[in-house]
Amino acid sequence: MNAVNTDDAEVYEQYTAQIAPDTIKLQTRNLDFFYGKNQALHSVTLPVINKGVTALIGPSGCGKSTLLRAMNRIYGLYPGQRAAGEIMLDGQNILDKKVDVATLRSRVGMVFQKPTPFPMSIHDNVAFGVRLYEGLNRAEMEQRVEESLRKAALWDEVKDKLRHSGLSLSGGQQQRLCVARGIAVRPEVLLLDEPASALDPVSTAKLEETIVELKKDYTIVIVTHNLQQATRVSDNTGFMFLGRLIEFAPTAELFSAPKAKRTADYIGGRFG
Amino acid sequence: MSVTDLAITDRPRPKGAAFDPVFKWVCAAAATTLLAALTGIVVLLAIGGWPALSKFGLSFFTSTDWNPVTDVFGGEGPIVGTLVTSFMALLFSLPIAFGVAVFLVEFCPRILRRPIGVAVELLAGVPSIVYGMWGLFVFAPFFATYVEVPAMSAAQPGSLLEMLTQGVPNGANILTASIVLAIMILPYMAAVLRELFLTVPVQLRESGYGMGSTTLEVVTSITLPYVRRSAVGAVMLGLGRALGETMAVTFIIGNSHTLPKSFFDSGSTIASTIANEFNEATTPMYTSALIALGFVLFLISFVVLAIARALLGSEKAV
Repeated sequence: MNAVNTDDAEVYEQYTAQIAPDTIKLQTRNLDFFYGKNQALHSVTLPVINKGVTALIGPSGCGKSTLLRAMNRIYGLYPGQRAAGEIMLDGQNILDKKVDVATLRSRVGMVFQKPTPFPMSIHDNVAFGVRLYEGLNRAEMEQRVEESLRKAALWDEVKDKLRHSGLSLSGGQQQRLCVARGIAVRPEVLLLDEPASALDPVSTAKLEETIVELKKDYTIVIVTHNLQQATRVSDNTGFMFLGRLIEFAPTAELFSAPKAKRTADYIGGRFG
Repeated sequence: MSVTDLAITDRPRPKGAAFDPVFKWVCAAAATTLLAALTGIVVLLAIGGWPALSKFGLSFFTSTDWNPVTDVFGGEGPIVGTLVTSFMALLFSLPIAFGVAVFLVEFCPRILRRPIGVAVELLAGVPSIVYGMWGLFVFAPFFATYVEVPAMSAAQPGSLLEMLTQGVPNGANILTASIVLAIMILPYMAAVLRELFLTVPVQLRESGYGMGSTTLEVVTSITLPYVRRSAVGAVMLGLGRALGETMAVTFIIGNSHTLPKSFFDSGSTIASTIANEFNEATTPMYTSALIALGFVLFLISFVVLAIARALLGSEKAV
């Protein structure tokens, strides 16, 4: 099925052409992605604006998570998955074999769908990534941990039990712990893969506040099934369908006046 | 009138309802048989070993004087030999089993996964008598020629090396027995550890890598702590196997009832002693002493397995 008609392609190019190149932090260019022989992404070119939130929406299986997982090369853990094309991070192609994936992932952090606290204390969860790359002394580390937990809006709830296991927290708290852990290493880009899908509404609201707060310092890409969430937290939104990026525009524009028919159908609830 | 109009007590029962009690009792009988067999073994071992245990008392555990001619039996040699060889086997095989498991889970290219997996299974399937023959005819002479003799000739009189290497350089000693045992329990532990590593949630591993960790950091900080209790359980199960292994050890340990004086000295284990001497046990006390040894081995294995079970079970509660 060929989902992209010429109109869609034009719509998409109109907006991306307006974006000043120096505001782009990360960009995929003609990115193809393969699970073995199955092609999951078809020539995706997506700009991610510096210090902003970019949302990726689309029906299940459209490739939005795949696109996210390409951005820090986490797919590389699995033989048989590969990407072709370019992903430029500050002008450097991260798909280049010479790029060290561990270093890349410390620059491009990721928070997953389900909370994944490591089997250690709350403090150590946050300190884990920092210890890998920086030799902070005790006081500096305490400060970094507090700062990260504050940014993730979790500090007040855990400040008295930092030595408790990360697993002792509630689901929503665990997810914010994962966010804190992700930002503690001071990444440049933070990838969020449906971070609120396992959370209740109250925890979701807190997490969204956190995201809005974080975009002052970080470039964020969020995959979400929740369209309201995309409108609440993001500056730009990309709509994907069957492995292709159909439309990309400022969030308000995309939701109020979608230019491609498929986008309009999806956000209008007519399919997906 | 339809079935929904009937009171709940009057509605038809499922067709198999009559057989359910039968099924229940058949299963219960099977379980009881097992329990009865276990109890029977313990009781008979205890009764059979009682004459020796009551006559020699504590000295059955603390004396190495095992003398069928004078009908005096002290089992310290075999008991210590069992524990020492098993723990040494564990020491040798654990790092390798760990390496195999980590390699299979984290590094192995897909084409190699199956061949290595099959090799591990094959190694586990080799009968222990074959290991014993290999140990006696191949490994022991090799070890004697290339390790024992050079080590003993290099040892200065009175040096630590001399103390550690004293014995007859024929390859039949507790060290070679431990190495053969290690090879035997290796595939088993590698397989269990691999299974354990595979139980670590994918997203947890990905989170580790997503933080910018290397594989070593993910394995030591995330994978291992996640499975640590179960891993100890797996190790205990391997130990349980080593404790009871008979034939391979009997071939190669040298079968001496004294306490081994060095790594190159011969010794014996409970299982090898029983296997060697059951035929020759002509007096009731001799037979009783062997059965008592069996009882001790049962207790040791039981304790090890109980600890393993407790550790494996507690994983779920976390």
